[in-house]
Amino acid sequence: MDDLLLSKIRLGIVAELLTSEWVAFSELHRALDASQGNLGAHLGKLVDSGYIEETKAFVNRRPLTQYRLTSKGRGAFVAHVRQLQSLLKETS
Amino acid sequence: MDEQLNAAQARDHIEMVARILEESQQRLCAGGEFFVVWGLFGAFVTLLGHFVASRALPSQALWAGLVALIAAIAFSIRRGRILRVESERGSLLQREFFNVLWITIGMGFVANLAVFNIFRGIASAAIWNFADAIVLFYIGMHGNRRAQVAGIAVVVSLVVANFTSGDVGAYVLAAGVFAGYCGFGVAELLSRD
Repeated sequence: MDDLLLSKIRLGIVAELLTSEWVAFSELHRALDASQGNLGAHLGKLVDSGYIEETKAFVNRRPLTQYRLTSKGRGAFVAHVRQLQSLLKETS
Repeated sequence: MDEQLNAAQARDHIEMVARILEESQQRLCAGGEFFVVWGLFGAFVTLLGHFVASRALPSQALWAGLVALIAAIAFSIRRGRILRVESERGSLLQREFFNVLWITIGMGFVANLAVFNIFRGIASAAIWNFADAIVLFYIGMHGNRRAQVAGIAVVVSLVVANFTSGDVGAYVLAAGVFAGYCGFGVAELLSRD
């Protein structure tokens, strides 16, 4: 399994990005119900690993941070979920 | 690595992923204003073409169609940019929808301007209805019943126009695209939270 995706919140972030072109930080914060600091730290790890990309901009003088899934992150997610499913099959 | 995650945790993670993916399969949000504008454009162009073909208007009046097309495209681009800034998530499904929308509009445009010897008169107008029906059924495929009904209305207008005389056929086509696109657009706008 993928070390980075063993964290439930990081797995949730990648799942949220899977069907989206991009997602804003505020939307991830709302969807995953995590504190801003905690979410920011997990996002940082995923960005550093190349699983997601971060884009920062100012829109109407307000900061807007968007995240998108990379092909590396998508591949890692698919492999990780397959292994989770295998684990469940083995134990059932 | 398996020892770091037991079966219960794995099930919990899988269930969370399934829940997130299920919620993300939201119905395609089409943007009602786009359909109102393109419905008005489609009906206008159909009637304009008919009046020019029947010599009720001079051929120079066709330029009004080009102006209307540019206005509709300008509106769509501007509104699309605003919506992108206002929204907090860009759905892949939404992007696919806009790809379908632009391809059908583009093909309608090509058929009207570059293939006019094949698609003469009412056939030229029918192309817009044909393209519009594809867009509506694409949205309908993703669970939007209003789009399905609107798509059927546009197809019915095509069939009815096929069995009526040229004059009446043009009005039927215009009514079909107006009812299908504008009707769907207004319904979407009214259903917004």
